[in-house]
Amino acid sequence: MYSTEQNLSKKERHELRRQEKLAARASGEQKKKTARVMLWSFIVIFVAGTIALMAGLASKTPSVQYLGGTVKAADNNDWIKGIPLKDAKVILIEYSDFQCPACAAYYSMVKQIGKEFKNVSVVYRHFPLSQHANARPAAQAAEAAGKQGKFWEMHDMLFENQTIWSGLTSADETFNTYARTLGLDVEKFKTDFNSAEIKTKIEADYQSGADQIDGTPTFFLNDKKLQNPKNYDEFRSIIQQAGGAI
Amino acid sequence: MTNLEVSSNKPAAPSNWLFAFFPILGALGFVDATYLAVKHFLGTPIPCSILKGCDQVTNSPYSLIYGVPVALLGALYYLTILILAAIYIDSRKPSVLKFLACLTPFGFLASLWFVYLQIFIIKAICIYCMASATSSTILFILGMYYLKKQKIYPQITLEKIPD
Repeated sequence: MYSTEQNLSKKERHELRRQEKLAARASGEQKKKTARVMLWSFIVIFVAGTIALMAGLASKTPSVQYLGGTVKAADNNDWIKGIPLKDAKVILIEYSDFQCPACAAYYSMVKQIGKEFKNVSVVYRHFPLSQHANARPAAQAAEAAGKQGKFWEMHDMLFENQTIWSGLTSADETFNTYARTLGLDVEKFKTDFNSAEIKTKIEADYQSGADQIDGTPTFFLNDKKLQNPKNYDEFRSIIQQAGGAI
Repeated sequence: MTNLEVSSNKPAAPSNWLFAFFPILGALGFVDATYLAVKHFLGTPIPCSILKGCDQVTNSPYSLIYGVPVALLGALYYLTILILAAIYIDSRKPSVLKFLACLTPFGFLASLWFVYLQIFIIKAICIYCMASATSSTILFILGMYYLKKQKIYPQITLEKIPD
């Protein structure tokens, strides 16, 4: 191995070998250092990248899903909450049944939306399902309260106490109690409750959605049928995407 | 670096390529668990394309341990695996890989428990959670395999012969 070095002195050979070894070690160290820096940079970039990407992915708002159906636009004969129709950028129409448990579950979400957004009108339309015996009387109660300017107060009361009256054979007396609680003229309430005008109005609401609605509640966002959001955050983001401002 | 040789006089050590799966699985598990953890903190629903039930599973009371989301613990576990694997690649110290291997039973047992919860208690399957269970199971198998090899070939790494 050292034949070419034969003519060098022992000391020189030794020195040469030492130099070579040092050079080899230095270049080896350098490579190792580069590899180490690359490895750890890669790990750091990977971890930070993953967190950033996942945060981006996860916070991506669910897109609005329309089911491809439309409904009669809201007008001033409807019950409107939030801001007046003419100022609204987004109009949310709900077809609902006071006796349906899902509607009661959505009630608090819809109420929150009416409160939270400053350019959204919320519209309530009756869709009393035939299997709910007290749904139509409840709708009449809300309308009768509406005659005295307290539709939404009665609406809230009916949903909040749904479990109390929905099982009753006749809930009329309970509704009278609610009217009294709300400070209504109970005699007038009773008359309006049975009036043909109110019954016709409820039926008109029902018919306006009959060919579009398979169940309650059904929501229409700017007259387009909506896939029911799964939770409040989804509901909120859908309305924001449609132009709702908080 | 040419004068390398197995210092032990036992048969040649098994190839190390299999253990490349430690960082790979650690990385995959980390991506998966991070996704679930971020979802948990943002509260957005998890879309499940293949199996339904992600929301049910990740919103169940079992998704928290003393208020800490399981997904976050999972992400930290996989991050630990990944970092230990990287330290090993860097230092080549067998003790690091051994320590990593000793951690894998914890991930595996936790996965067993969560799969049990999903199937028998919550009765809903979350595909992302199952993916995590799969990677922690493979990590466990690899870890045990490594420990077994360690016993047979205590010096699995190559050592430089002193000059």
